Amino acid sequence: MKTGGRSFAGLIALVARRDYVRTVRRRGFVVGTLLLPLGIGAFMLLSTILPGVAPGAGPDLPGGPSGSGDYVLLVVDESELGLQPRPDGTMPVELVSRDEGQARLEAGTADEFYLIPADYPADPTVRRIGNPTSGFDVASFQRQAGQQQELALLLRTTLLDDAAVPPEAAQRIVAPYSLKTETTAGEPGAAGPSIAAFLVPFAFTMLFVMSIFITSGYLLQSVTEEKENRVVEIVLSSVPALPLMAGKILGLGAAGLTQVVFWVLSVLVVLAVLGDSGGSLEGVAIAPIAVLLGLVYFALGYLGYGAIFSAVGALAPGSREAQQYAGFFGFFAVVPLIFSSIFITDIGSPIVTILALIPFTTPAAMLMVVTLAPDIPWGLVVISIVSLGTFTVLATIASARVFRATLLLYGVRPGARAIVGAILARA
Amino acid sequence: MIEQRDAITATRGDTRTPAVTVEGVWKRFAQTDVVQDLSFEVQRGEVLGFLGPNGAGKTTTMRMILDIIRPDRGAITVFGSAPGIEHQSRVGYLPEERGLYRDVSILETLTYFGALRGLPTREARDRATRLLTEVGLGEAMKKKAAELSRGMHQKAQVVATVLHEPDLLIVDEPFQGLDPVNAELLRGVLLAQRDRGAAVVMSTHDMTDAQKLCDRILLIDRGWRLLYGRVPEIQRAFSDGAVEVRGAGISVDGARYPSVSEATQVDGSVRFLLREGASAQQLFRELADEGAAVDRFEVSTPTLNEIFIRTVAGDRRAEAVR
Repeated sequence: MKTGGRSFAGLIALVARRDYVRTVRRRGFVVGTLLLPLGIGAFMLLSTILPGVAPGAGPDLPGGPSGSGDYVLLVVDESELGLQPRPDGTMPVELVSRDEGQARLEAGTADEFYLIPADYPADPTVRRIGNPTSGFDVASFQRQAGQQQELALLLRTTLLDDAAVPPEAAQRIVAPYSLKTETTAGEPGAAGPSIAAFLVPFAFTMLFVMSIFITSGYLLQSVTEEKENRVVEIVLSSVPALPLMAGKILGLGAAGLTQVVFWVLSVLVVLAVLGDSGGSLEGVAIAPIAVLLGLVYFALGYLGYGAIFSAVGALAPGSREAQQYAGFFGFFAVVPLIFSSIFITDIGSPIVTILALIPFTTPAAMLMVVTLAPDIPWGLVVISIVSLGTFTVLATIASARVFRATLLLYGVRPGARAIVGAILARA
Repeated sequence: MIEQRDAITATRGDTRTPAVTVEGVWKRFAQTDVVQDLSFEVQRGEVLGFLGPNGAGKTTTMRMILDIIRPDRGAITVFGSAPGIEHQSRVGYLPEERGLYRDVSILETLTYFGALRGLPTREARDRATRLLTEVGLGEAMKKKAAELSRGMHQKAQVVATVLHEPDLLIVDEPFQGLDPVNAELLRGVLLAQRDRGAAVVMSTHDMTDAQKLCDRILLIDRGWRLLYGRVPEIQRAFSDGAVEVRGAGISVDGARYPSVSEATQVDGSVRFLLREGASAQQLFRELADEGAAVDRFEVSTPTLNEIFIRTVAGDRRAEAVR
């Protein structure tokens, strides 16, 4: 609609551009945006300085994608087995005497060694001897897990050799089978669900929730600031409430997304620097239609919540109250994440369906449904999009009315009756 | 919409269409009728003084004209059609509660306000630069509002109101909180806008300003219209027939003059209250007949302040100019 040389779209763009530029130029925004990548950078820097947590010396698990790294398995064999390191072992094995093991521990060149008793295998107790430690250390835990797996394989192959088991049978006892997955059509199938296949939908949902909270913060700040600065009446006399609100939602939403995208890119850059580009995302295959639907839910949810937060900013007598009210609505965005275990174990559960149909929880719930469900539940998709779309339109209209009716109430908390009256007032 | 836009364009050159018409407007908040059956017009090239005690409904009426809020009943037109986005670029508004973005330069704020009112950004910036320089804010225009004095804020707000050369100017308690220099600046701005042909609606508690600036006044109380008309007409209607006379040989004994019902001494003058049906000319003749030497003879007219107090207190003469 174009009127008097101005158009609704033009006004929305003007308000959006101005609020976006003003927000991203703020020191708080710049600092907040850079804090995460700077934090990651600082962690990486520390990792290279401090031994044991260096990314390159990472605690690779046996059988992991890049082998055993720098770990060494120190073994003191006092038995009659005559242990010999396996040629295809997952990490180097050093057979040492008990005194040498002790000396290595005292010199700090080893963290532990494993003592095979003299009467092994009658006595299966293998002792791990190391310096005393306190607390939980992930690196030690992973290193020892790898060492113990290699030690188990080493003992098993040695025992099989002693028992004169034919090599092929011995190999099958150590590694009974290798799995190959095929579809009914005889085509190669997915190797199986990976951690990333679960994590990516959650990351997508978390992105939505983060965007909601970040944008709500900017929206509340903008609206309450204009109220408190007494600028709002001049603005409202220049722009109708609806384009003003829409401009703020889009402009500040874009500022929030800028921040989130910057963070995501930072994480991807870090992963690439660590040499893990794509590696962690193996096994993730989200259908393009699921991505498209995800964007639809993201956009609708974003607009709906944005409208509500604008009204909340207009309603609240001050910025503190605005944050409290917003927290109440923002909680609904998180609810599906609380039930995430049900989404993983039973996607057809009534709880999932209910969360998918309540407009406040629809976006986060359906983001998980469309990415986790083996087949997209089109019935649920259609109903939820219709209900969420209707809700978003109604919420936008109602919020614009509340926005318009309450924005000029300085320091006053309107009652429920006044709010309902504003919503039901004729356009 | 196209028809409406054409109508709006057509009214720009049409000086006969009132800038604002308000007809039988009602507005209720909670259980209170804030505006009740209010009707008035604002012509182009005039200043309408919008008077009334606190809570009379002045700001609510102004916001309805600005389309910030909508009336429950009745009709409002601005330049011949319903108020809305179509008119916002032709209206300038200085609200009672006013401010600026604190962390942004005043030039940037004014450029934004101008753009919201329909000016191209570059033009808004150029106009803001020129006007801010004219009011003495040339060096301060790139400073953040938080760094400026209250007086500088006030000047910037006045500039923001007229930046786009509005055809209708609505100013709500414009002199409230202004220092004398800025008050004079604003008076000049309002009169310049009126002389340019803009309609000005000004609410004020200051009757001296109203008397100086307004061509017509509208007095409302609790949403009802109490007075509406040209200032001299209203003053005439409220004139109680008193005449103040200064000179020699003037008696304070009212009985000596047939046209007088009561006489009192006031600051070296004698104030005569005329009998019903008597005229000032009749009294002048009677004074001459008595040999009085008259230095000053003035038909006393009440000030707007007196009229305001009397009307709000329930003076029946208000009905003549309601």
